[in-house]
Amino acid sequence: MASVAAQYLPILLFLGVALLLSTAFVVLPIAVARLTGAHKPSTDKLSEYECGFPAFEDSRMQFDVRFYLVAILFIIFDLEAAFLYPWAVSLREIGWTGWLAMMGFLAELLLGFAYAWKKGALEWE
Amino acid sequence: MIQTIAFYLFAIMVVLSAGLVITARNPVHSVLWLILAFFNAAGLMLLVGAEFIAMLLVIVYVGAVAVLFLFVVMMLDIDFSELRGGFVRYLPFGVAVALVLLCEIVIAGGAWEAGPVELAGRTALAPDPAAIPNIQALGTLLYTRYLFVFEGAGLVLLVAMIGAIVLTHRARGGVRQQNVRRQNIRRPQDATRNTNPPVGQGVEL
Amino acid sequence: MGYTASFALSLPEIILSFGAIALMLAAAWAGDKASKAISVIAVALLAGAAASLLGPSGSGGVGYDGLYVADGFSAFSKLLIYVSAAIAIIIAPGFFDREGEMRAEFPVLILLSAVGMGMMVSAIDLLSLYVGLELQSLAAYVLASFLRRDGRSAEAGLKYFVLGALASGILLYGISLLYGFSGGTSFHAVAVAMHAGVGTGLLFGLVFVLAGLAFKIAAVPFHMWTPDVYEGSPTPVTAFFASAPKVAAMGLLVRVAIEAMGPAGDEWRQIMIFCALASTILGAVAAIGQTNIKRLMAYSSINNVGFALFGLVPGTAYGASGVLTYMTVYIAMTLGSLLCILQMRDAEGNPVETIASLSGLSRTRPGLAAAFAVFMFSLAGIPPLFGFWPKFMVFDALVDVGMWPLAMIGIATSVIGAFYYLKIVKTIYFDEPSDVRFVPLRSTTEGVLILIAALFVSPLGYFTVPLLGKATLDAATALF
Repeated sequence: MASVAAQYLPILLFLGVALLLSTAFVVLPIAVARLTGAHKPSTDKLSEYECGFPAFEDSRMQFDVRFYLVAILFIIFDLEAAFLYPWAVSLREIGWTGWLAMMGFLAELLLGFAYAWKKGALEWE
Repeated sequence: MIQTIAFYLFAIMVVLSAGLVITARNPVHSVLWLILAFFNAAGLMLLVGAEFIAMLLVIVYVGAVAVLFLFVVMMLDIDFSELRGGFVRYLPFGVAVALVLLCEIVIAGGAWEAGPVELAGRTALAPDPAAIPNIQALGTLLYTRYLFVFEGAGLVLLVAMIGAIVLTHRARGGVRQQNVRRQNIRRPQDATRNTNPPVGQGVEL
Repeated sequence: MGYTASFALSLPEIILSFGAIALMLAAAWAGDKASKAISVIAVALLAGAAASLLGPSGSGGVGYDGLYVADGFSAFSKLLIYVSAAIAIIIAPGFFDREGEMRAEFPVLILLSAVGMGMMVSAIDLLSLYVGLELQSLAAYVLASFLRRDGRSAEAGLKYFVLGALASGILLYGISLLYGFSGGTSFHAVAVAMHAGVGTGLLFGLVFVLAGLAFKIAAVPFHMWTPDVYEGSPTPVTAFFASAPKVAAMGLLVRVAIEAMGPAGDEWRQIMIFCALASTILGAVAAIGQTNIKRLMAYSSINNVGFALFGLVPGTAYGASGVLTYMTVYIAMTLGSLLCILQMRDAEGNPVETIASLSGLSRTRPGLAAAFAVFMFSLAGIPPLFGFWPKFMVFDALVDVGMWPLAMIGIATSVIGAFYYLKIVKTIYFDEPSDVRFVPLRSTTEGVLILIAALFVSPLGYFTVPLLGKATLDAATALF
């Protein structure tokens, strides 16, 4: 068990270093600005920059419900793809049975995909 | 030693960000905290040696589910301050439910001490993780011994797809549908023509 | 065990899955115009799946390395499930056509749900249990909100989905505890671990699994979704919910209780007794004040599930056969009642659901009134109607193991329950006719189905007792 986690130590270290550096990049300029006296906030400086216009509405806007269908379809095929990884690395052991099992699984979703396509679920305009 | 530190780091982060998911005022921020919680949960999975599950957490939950949550949050046109109005009214009930669940977790956690976790019994199935990688061990079982539930899971996904289309898709007028046959039979001469206009006269389109 | 043999065992599921996928493609290409044809083929597929139960898939034993079993119990439950699903498909076009909402996906979703239910009653492993349950539930959530333009239907689907997901979570937590403390996911492994002693961990797993399953059969205290979902769903879907998934979840519960948790009988018996008593009492008392007939049917189903659970309490083969008999007669009664409710349409063809609109029905529509009365008397368990027999059987099973105080309480609650059924009969026969005039029966099929159901629950049903008694006892013995 220990060996599995230990293989990921470099990533952990990398994440630690990245976190440290990115924090430094954010905090250092602020600290320097305050220390040197250049820190003089005003309304104009603090407001958002929108191509020179004054900001006139909330940036959050309502999405079309059609995004939902796209997202759901994406999740389904994402999961399908996730099942492919263990299959690919163990294909040598599981042989034809395993190969056919995956083909059956893929066929289920492929026909589902054909259904979605024909129904026009992938059309936008 | 490093593992212990990493465990406590991830565990604390999971609990903290999960807490922030429910306390954040802005629902978009909630989703972002949720993503952080997923990442840390993936870290915990790595620590127990379940690499594949950890990667699935990142790919499926962060990559797809969290995005779907964001979509849903953006799709709703809800005044969230109004939604919070009922907070005080429902607080006693919510606290009661939370306490019951907490008790259950504590007692079930205590059970860990009481009875042995009989994972020894499954050694016949599970190979040594040092010898065979986690994902490969999973693959050797999932597609043969557990063929039945694997195909069943495919059907569950299929139902999800049909359900999403049945509930949210409506045929719209004026949709420019892709007609593959028409695209295929279209030849260059149908779409283009060569002209040789004299200078100064322009082209009749 | 080779895969070919396993495939032969799960032939009903294979027929239904292939059929459902083919019909799904047909739905996409032929469009909603073909709904009727697709419904007919779907019913034929269910009949084919039922016919395949005569082969190895009816009694062939364990397949798929211990994930699936084909025995008498699963065959009997599947037969009930397929019949109920077929009836839901048959009555759907007549209902949805008037809303202009009949879509070809309806029979497809019912078929896929039937696959899930077949997996549930054939599961002898916690994994196949869970996948089957999810397949059934997911299709059910979609069916509940099938009327997209109706706010109540959408609300029903959402409520069902959120609470169902919570129940699935509880069930999964229980499954993980059972796995952790027993070392295996098969029912046999759990039973072996429980035989060695039921520690706190296993006990918690047992409680959570039973809680998740109690949600699916809508037993008190996990019943709160039922009235809203039954009321909001389109009536054919309500008829489906009240029949097939109930049978599947009940079959699953019986199998889990006896095959997996058999050694922990004393532990789950307390839970079952509580659920049974609470369901019968709450189902009876809460139904009294209802004004909507579909909500009333929801409370009636809660009440009936409570009675069926009494049959599970003794943990004997006779008791389990009582559960199966109860479910058989219950689906006839409940489908019959809902078919009658389907006939409640005013002059414009809009569905009417108030109980008040039924008043004086005996003078305007004597045939429908008589059918209603037969179903209500039968649901109340009043002899000589057939609804009395399964109640008698489950209480007899209780008395057999010396639990006669519980049987007495059960009989007392059935008297409370009889009150509101009789109230409907009184409304129909003795009240002044209401101004709502129902349109005459349009579909002969529905009329015939009502007639069959009414004949089955009438005293004529006792002629089936020798056959039904033997079939259920054979089925139940397969568990022991």
